[in-house]
Amino acid sequence: MDRDERMHVNENEVILDTNELRLIEGHGRLTVRLSGSRIEAEFRNLEGPRFLTSYLRGKPAEMAPLVASRICGLCYTAHSINAAEAVEEALGITPDEGVVELRRLLYLANNLRSHMMHLLFLSLPPIKGLISVLRLREKDLVAAGTRLLSTSTQLIEYWGGRSVHVPNVVVGGFGALVRGRELMESIKKLESLRGDAKLFVEHVLEMELPELERFRTMLSLKAENYPTYAREAPLAVNDGSTITDEEYVSELEEVVREYSTSKHAYFRGSEATVGALPRIMLNRRKLKPEAREYAERIEWRINPFLMVKAQAVELMHYLEEIIETGERLSETTIVPNGFPSPGIGKKAQVNPCFSDRDGKGIAIAEAPRGTLCHVCEIEGGLIKDYRVYTPTAVNSKSIEVDSVEMVKKFRPLGSEKLKYVLEDLVRCYDPCLSCAVSLDFLSDR
Amino acid sequence: MKAAFYSLTSCEGCLTTLITNLGPNLEALWRIFDIDYFKLVREPVGGDKVPRVDIAFVEGAVVTSLDRRRISRIRENSSFIVALGTCASCGNIAYSASRSVDLTRRRLKDLEVFEAEPLSSYVNVDFELSGCPVSAEEFTEALLRLLNGIEPKQPDFSVCYECKLKGNRCLLEVGRVCLGPLAMGGCGAACTSVGAPCYSCRGPAIEADLDAYLKTIKRHGIEEGKAMSAIRAFTGKKITELLKDGQR
Repeated sequence: MDRDERMHVNENEVILDTNELRLIEGHGRLTVRLSGSRIEAEFRNLEGPRFLTSYLRGKPAEMAPLVASRICGLCYTAHSINAAEAVEEALGITPDEGVVELRRLLYLANNLRSHMMHLLFLSLPPIKGLISVLRLREKDLVAAGTRLLSTSTQLIEYWGGRSVHVPNVVVGGFGALVRGRELMESIKKLESLRGDAKLFVEHVLEMELPELERFRTMLSLKAENYPTYAREAPLAVNDGSTITDEEYVSELEEVVREYSTSKHAYFRGSEATVGALPRIMLNRRKLKPEAREYAERIEWRINPFLMVKAQAVELMHYLEEIIETGERLSETTIVPNGFPSPGIGKKAQVNPCFSDRDGKGIAIAEAPRGTLCHVCEIEGGLIKDYRVYTPTAVNSKSIEVDSVEMVKKFRPLGSEKLKYVLEDLVRCYDPCLSCAVSLDFLSDR
Repeated sequence: MKAAFYSLTSCEGCLTTLITNLGPNLEALWRIFDIDYFKLVREPVGGDKVPRVDIAFVEGAVVTSLDRRRISRIRENSSFIVALGTCASCGNIAYSASRSVDLTRRRLKDLEVFEAEPLSSYVNVDFELSGCPVSAEEFTEALLRLLNGIEPKQPDFSVCYECKLKGNRCLLEVGRVCLGPLAMGGCGAACTSVGAPCYSCRGPAIEADLDAYLKTIKRHGIEEGKAMSAIRAFTGKKITELLKDGQR
């Protein structure tokens, strides 16, 4: 490889190196070293920082959703919505219930799309020992997955204004007039895909996965329903306690790693895991009926490989909840600023973005990969500080600790085989390094 | 024919757009090309090695030392390079964002971070397909042209043109900063159609006229400073061309 990368080998022995991790979002690498008698893992983010959060400083508050969207090409809807909410909270704007509901719908569609992309394209093929989704022998499975993927994308495109980076999500609500009836129609197609979802979920639930159980702190939003997007909701910790969003932010610590372009986010000075598995383990009873039935089939333990199965169960849940939310919204019309009011059914008005207020806002929601937190400070209508704590930044430490455990446990496999299982492990966390790098190593706090 | 799909520093939204919007047709690409490298779709043949190909599609800006090495290897091994998306063609938001950050502590253990640049700052790029994200239809059209030995072309109209066709209300007329008249079209006026102003995410239109634009916004009572700040957001390196023409 490259000269400067070889230089460090002598310091302590590298026992495993994945080179560039394959089939993950962004560029990363996992290196395991033997330093004395201790095994240490380095989860290295090699994705370049794009300094989007620094860019927002001094910019008008209404630009936040537009710029935050560019953080990630898979969960852009989550970033846009969180950004809109953080700004609204800072400016003291309370969006109408209809706006919150439609945002939840977009969030659900986004999570469904992202899970589908992760399971079908990134996670399943390598676990089955294949190099690509195109080599999967179960053609019906691929067809079912592709249908779900494109239908959820169409839903986002229709209501978000574009399939990737949605311009319709703005501070205060939505930019375009939203009619509940049309919304119902657009969801109908998804309803016919229940069979596809079932086929997919059942396939994933029957897969054999490695055992790697280890206790650690887990976090998930705790809302009235199964957590995705809610305006005001505390976070549940797996010690039985709940904390507010402000407490969560104050418990986060940004740690610079000399080998990674992104900082790690420690919770209470140590590791925490977020994502589909903590969500299921902390909120299983709130799953929709069919998803819950699937969830009962699995013995949920803190094994990161189970993230894959948790995501599969969530697929079913998201599908069910999208259909329900759509029905609830069928009578609602969301009217943007300056639009003549159509005057039918329930109305939700979109609030204007005030340009001269000050304040601080925190928006937390359950993005596909876990708890996503945007913090925004506004002064005189301009953004003073903007921070994004992504699930991957929080999970980075857990990925490292699990990798060490994995090496200890499976060392007899030999490093060639172990390398592949380690990559599978990292992939199960569904890391997004483009997201993680929004907490770049040069950002000051 | 051989093709490859690479990703440098980006959100990978361009490749995901192609993957999701091509849907079941994605597999058809393999019937046309031999594809050894497609980030997010297959494990690369030969690990980190850059394969020799006829057409390379590259998304993302050049930010890290790794990106720099990779883009020069891609150039050495590819007959035709298509820059995929605004990061690759203009540098996107990262271009100006990275210039307002103090990069003196840029060195990590084995990686260095530089000011973001579009591909064309380092290598010759044969064709640029702009957009944040890139449009799957434009990609398909460019691909068909390339396969038939015809040079692909960029849209020669502005976002305003498409916006007018859609019958949208003009945002400049209600006093909002909208870059439609300056922006390269082809997006189907996605943002303005949902009431959001255009930020020219595809870079400047071929015949963008900054002076005329500034005169127009003045007439609508829009502050020039606000518009200039918006222009600098996505246009990245291409802003310099625009400013040179406008002598600003």
